Amino acid sequence: MTAALRSLFKLDYGGKIEREVAKLISAFDELKFDTGRYPRRWLALKLLEADADIVARVRALPDGQELIDLAQAGSQHVQDMLGDEFDLLTADRRYGFINGVVRQSLHRPRLDRITLTDRIDDIVTHKWFGLPVFFAVMYVVFRLVIDVSSPFLDWMDAVINGPIENWIRFILDLVPLPAWIHSLVIDGIVAGVGGVLVFVPGLLILYFFLALLEDSGYMSRAAFVMDRFMRVVGLHGKSFIPMILGFGCAVPAIYATRTIASWRDRVLTSLLVPLMSCSARLPVYVVFGLAFFGARAGSVIWAMYALGILIAMLAGMVFTRTILKPDASSAFVLELPPYRQPSLKSVLIHMWENTREFVRKAGTMILLASVVMWLLLNLPWGVSDQRDSYFGKVSGALSPLFAPLGFGNWETGGALVTGFMAKEIVVSTMSQIYLRDMPVEDAAPTTLGEDLLGIGRGFVDAVIGSGRILVSIIPGVSFANEEVENEDTALSIALREHFTPLSAVSLLVFVLLYVPCVATLGAIKQEFGSSWAVTSAVYQTAVAWLVAWVVYRFGLLLGFS
Amino acid sequence: MLTELLSLLAGKSGGMSLWEISRSLDAEPSAVQAMLDLLVLKGRLIEVGPDGKYCADCGLEPDCNLLAAHGKRYVRA
Repeated sequence: MTAALRSLFKLDYGGKIEREVAKLISAFDELKFDTGRYPRRWLALKLLEADADIVARVRALPDGQELIDLAQAGSQHVQDMLGDEFDLLTADRRYGFINGVVRQSLHRPRLDRITLTDRIDDIVTHKWFGLPVFFAVMYVVFRLVIDVSSPFLDWMDAVINGPIENWIRFILDLVPLPAWIHSLVIDGIVAGVGGVLVFVPGLLILYFFLALLEDSGYMSRAAFVMDRFMRVVGLHGKSFIPMILGFGCAVPAIYATRTIASWRDRVLTSLLVPLMSCSARLPVYVVFGLAFFGARAGSVIWAMYALGILIAMLAGMVFTRTILKPDASSAFVLELPPYRQPSLKSVLIHMWENTREFVRKAGTMILLASVVMWLLLNLPWGVSDQRDSYFGKVSGALSPLFAPLGFGNWETGGALVTGFMAKEIVVSTMSQIYLRDMPVEDAAPTTLGEDLLGIGRGFVDAVIGSGRILVSIIPGVSFANEEVENEDTALSIALREHFTPLSAVSLLVFVLLYVPCVATLGAIKQEFGSSWAVTSAVYQTAVAWLVAWVVYRFGLLLGFS
Repeated sequence: MLTELLSLLAGKSGGMSLWEISRSLDAEPSAVQAMLDLLVLKGRLIEVGPDGKYCADCGLEPDCNLLAAHGKRYVRA
C-alpha cells in the first residue's frame, strides 16, 4: 500500500470506539505529546488495547502515565457499554473487515467438497458400514490389480521368455563360451530375474491404486475405521497406519512405528506388521492364483490380504494377554484430511518410486540369489538330477516338515527357504527349478525387426485386453462374444503338475504368514533388539505352519483336493 | 467475526474443529485459525485435543473416536 493510499484508508471501529480514539488523539494534542514515528491513531488504539510493549514505552515518556490512565478509562467505558474487552472488539472489527474484503475481491468455489467429505465420511467411517466399505474397497482394488494386469503379465512373460531370451542366446553364441555359462545366464539369471520382473506391470497397477487411496484421503479413514478393532488387540488406530504401509513393504512400516509413543505399542505393532501382505508376496499369489483359479484369482488374493489382517488381530490378542500386556491407554488422535482429487503427477511418482525399488531389488538381491541358486542346483559339479544337488538335498531334508501342509516336495521346501531372503525369490526359485525341466520349443528364427514388431503388437493387445476387462467390471457391460482369456505362463503349467488347488492355497497361506524376510527382521532387530527379531521369526513360522495345516486339513475334510 | 465465532460455539457443547468453523463462517481456515488462537490466548476458548486441554465433562475424551477423527476441537471456556 502506498503512503497516499495509507492516508486515505481508515478502518471504522464503530461510534463508541471511534469516540474514545478521538478523545485520546485530542489528549495527545492538548499535552503536546510527541508520538514520534508512530501514527497517532495507531498509537491511540494500542493504548486503548493496553498493548504491553506500547504502554511500557509511553509510560517512560513525559505525560505518558496520564495518557495511559486516560486510555484505561476509555477502554473500560467501551467494555462496559459493549460487554467485551477492547482488544477483542477491535480484533473483531479487523477480522470482519478483512473477511468482507476477501468476499468482495476473491471469487472462489464454495467449500462444497468439504460438505461432500462429511457426507462420504458419514458412510465410510460409520460404526457399522465402515468396515464392510473398507473390505469392499480393498476387494475391488485387488480385483482390478489382478484382472487388469493379467494381459500385461502375459505380455511381459512372452517378451522375457521370447525375444529377450532369444537375444541373449544370440549374444552368447557370438563368442565361444563354455556351456555352463550359457546355463548360468539362461537357466539361472534369465529364469530367476525374469520370473520376478514379469510382475512389474502388476505392481505398477497395485501402487497406482494404493496411491489413489492414499492421496484421496481414504487411507486415513481406513485407519480410523480399524481403530475399534485395533483396540481389541490392545492397540489403537495409529498402529494401523504402519500396518497399511506394510501392504507395500514391511521395512518402512517397521520404521514408521517410531511415531507411536508407547514402546510396548511399537513392539506389538512391529510384530504384527509383517502379517500384512507386502507387495513382494504378490508375485507368489498371482502365479498360483492365475495357475489354479483363473478368473477367481482376484478373490483368492483378496482373501490372503484379509487373512493377514485377521491373523494379525488374533496374534495381537494373544500377545496382549501374555508377553505384551497393555500399559495406560493413550489418546488416539488422527486428523482426517478432506477428500481431494489425487494429482496424476503425484500418483505416477508414487507408483514409479515403489516399482523402481522392486526392479532395483531384482537387479541386485534377486540376481545374486539367482546365481547362488543356480550354483547350488548344479553342485556337486556335473550333477544330472537337481534332486541330487546340494540344494536338492537340503530341500529334501526339509520337505517332510511341509508334507502335512500338502506340499512336501523338495522343490517347494527349497523355494520357501530362499524366500527368507525376499518373498518374491520364491517365484524366481520355482522358475529356475521347474522351467529348467520344461521342453524348449524350437521356434522359427526371427529377425530383430520381427521381434520388436511382435513386442509392440503384444503390448497393444494387452492394452486392449485390459481395457475390455476394465469395462466389463462395470455392471451391465460385457463382451459376451469376446471372452478374454488369460494365457498360461510357462510357470503356471509347471505348477499345475506339482500342486493341487488345495495345496496351492495352503502354500499361499504359508507364504503369507511365515518368517519375515531378512530385511524386515533386520529392521526389527535394529529397533527393538535381537530377541524380538527372533520372536518375530519363530512365532510367524509357527503360526504359518499351523494355519496352513488347518486350511489344508479342513479343505480335505470338505472334499477339496 | 470473533463475535460470530463465539456465538457459533456457544451452542456446541462438543466444540467444533477448525474445518467446521471455517465452513460455518464461510472463511478461509488460515484466517479462522488466527482468530481461534487469539480467543484461546484471551481465555475465551479451550483447545480440546492434541496439545490442548480436555474439557473433562464426561471424562471419556481420551477414548472418543469423534475427537480422534476430527483432531483438535474448540469449545467455549
